[in-house]
Amino acid sequence: MIRLAAIWEAFRVATASLRANKLRTALTLMGIVVGVSAVIAVVTIIDGLNQTVAQTFSSQGSTVFTISKNPQIIKSREEFVKFNRRKDVTHEDAEAITRLCTACWRVGIAANAIETVKYANQKAENVRIRGIDPLTMFEIDGRTIDVGRIWTESEGASGREICVIGPDMLKNLFSEAPADKAVGQEIRIDGRPYLVLGVLEPLGSILGFSRDNVVYIPYSTYQKAYGGRRSLVAFIQVPSAEQLEAAEDQVRTIMRNRRHSSGDGDDEGFALETQDVFLNLYGSATSNIYIVTVLVSGVSLIVGAIVVMNIMLVSVTERTKEIGIRKAVGARRKDILTQFLIEAVTVTALGGVIGVGTGFGLAYVISALIGFPLLISAASAALGVGISSLAGILSGMWPAWRAARLDPIEALRAE
Amino acid sequence: MSEATLTISPVENEIKPRTEVNGHDPSMLISMRNIWKTYQMGTESVHALHGVSFDIPRGEYIAIIGPSGSGKSTLMNLIGCLDTPTQGQYWLNGKNVSEMDDDELARIRNQEVGFVFQTFNLLARATALHNVELPLIYGGVSASQRHEMAKQALKAVDLSDRITHKPNELSGGQRQRVAIARALVNHPSILLADEPTGALDSHTSMEIMDLFERLHSEGNTIIVVTHEHDIAARAHRVVSIRDGLIEKDERIR
Repeated sequence: MIRLAAIWEAFRVATASLRANKLRTALTLMGIVVGVSAVIAVVTIIDGLNQTVAQTFSSQGSTVFTISKNPQIIKSREEFVKFNRRKDVTHEDAEAITRLCTACWRVGIAANAIETVKYANQKAENVRIRGIDPLTMFEIDGRTIDVGRIWTESEGASGREICVIGPDMLKNLFSEAPADKAVGQEIRIDGRPYLVLGVLEPLGSILGFSRDNVVYIPYSTYQKAYGGRRSLVAFIQVPSAEQLEAAEDQVRTIMRNRRHSSGDGDDEGFALETQDVFLNLYGSATSNIYIVTVLVSGVSLIVGAIVVMNIMLVSVTERTKEIGIRKAVGARRKDILTQFLIEAVTVTALGGVIGVGTGFGLAYVISALIGFPLLISAASAALGVGISSLAGILSGMWPAWRAARLDPIEALRAE
Repeated sequence: MSEATLTISPVENEIKPRTEVNGHDPSMLISMRNIWKTYQMGTESVHALHGVSFDIPRGEYIAIIGPSGSGKSTLMNLIGCLDTPTQGQYWLNGKNVSEMDDDELARIRNQEVGFVFQTFNLLARATALHNVELPLIYGGVSASQRHEMAKQALKAVDLSDRITHKPNELSGGQRQRVAIARALVNHPSILLADEPTGALDSHTSMEIMDLFERLHSEGNTIIVVTHEHDIAARAHRVVSIRDGLIEKDERIR
């Protein structure tokens, strides 16, 4: 049994000797602080990014899934070849889904092109031109109008050159003019003039990619400009997440019938995806960052632990006399062992606490620069202090054991 | 399992009946029988003690005297349970300590032995009170009781007004009195002093020796190890050590 009084004594002695050697303590702490703060900063930043990404995707949400020719992520050349042999997803496919899928709520189609957009002598490059049909596609995309109006159904069917612009266009084409100044103007996309009917509310950006650098046009217009034989993406929305699975099953059956595929083994001929695909990809990317960081900071913690061990060995040598006195008045081996272990753990735990603090500080600065919320988690703080304490036990073990085994007579003789 | 025998006491040189149990006298506080201590110096064996036997009854004030290299330090370490004999039996307060392991010896030191060293051996960063509390901390005494006992012990050595002082704020005599308070705080069986005045001037030395006398009159068993004859002369019995053997064992008052 180790007596509580002896532990408290050990803690008193530890803090007193740390205070007595402030510079040495600070240097000892450094390695641990660096290791822990690296872990805390990365964990906190990734947690913050995760939340941003999750929130961003949920604006379109888990009630939407898509049918497309190619999945969003193609893993190999073979897949690329295989998917290119598939039939295009067409307007007719979307109509069939609308007609046959009872669990579906809204169905829309969309196709994208990347173009340069011009107004007067200004131009914006790499703008996403999104041809959509019907108008509910705005709602499926989570878009609302800020100023002006969206086109009517008959306008949409007419194939006229009309558009609704994302707020980035104001910045890039209209010199940050107020939105109502843009409404009624004519912009040029790929040389063709389009009348601006309205401006959308901003959705912000994901990981630096703006979602407002976009121009919406009716699908009939899109077909006229870019040709009808391009594959499009069908968007299907269900009223609530619970119906998602039922709707997916129905749509899968409808599409298999239309592609004459059985679904067991051979290629289905289409890709059915939810936003989870993105989230999964993102998740695996961040988990790799996690692993690398843990390894790197693990190395730094090991170096820190070696420094602590070194200093503890010095401390044992310096305090041989003290150990002798304690042994003479009745300290047993485990009392001395505990004393030096506690001293090592006190140093590293202190390093852990400082590391958690600087880690959060670092994460705060970085999150403020990139622009995502800072999530301070108690679990990662506990982990940081816990790991550093463990490092203290491991690095203190050998010096403490040496102290505990000192012969009291020899130790008393030391100066 | 006791057998009654008649032995000649070396102290009084007279025949008196004594009871030996398992080869020692249970009425004695300290009972050493044929103690050897051998050190291995390279390939050579050096005998620091050659079969030493003696008894110390409770309440005695005894000096162990001898020149350096006589084996008196070795004997002191054995009496103080800092070390164990190579051969022989040592009973302290009825316990055979000659075969104990490190932790058992630590326990005996904590409960039975109060050390007073030549160089005081106080913890430099700790207050007088904390220094005196130290044995009680390892003895598992509760904080409040510890405090009370340490204050009492400091009062017994007339240092009640110095309890928050650190060793470097105290004079040599005061430091030694703190060390004596530490030695006494646990009410040990023996107070074992190793050259207790070796680092003190003659005036302070006398004060410390007066204190020992008082503590003896209060019933403490005191063993002083020294090479100074006038310090040894304050004791009631003097054991002289030479070349690892007891040369003389005489009662002087």
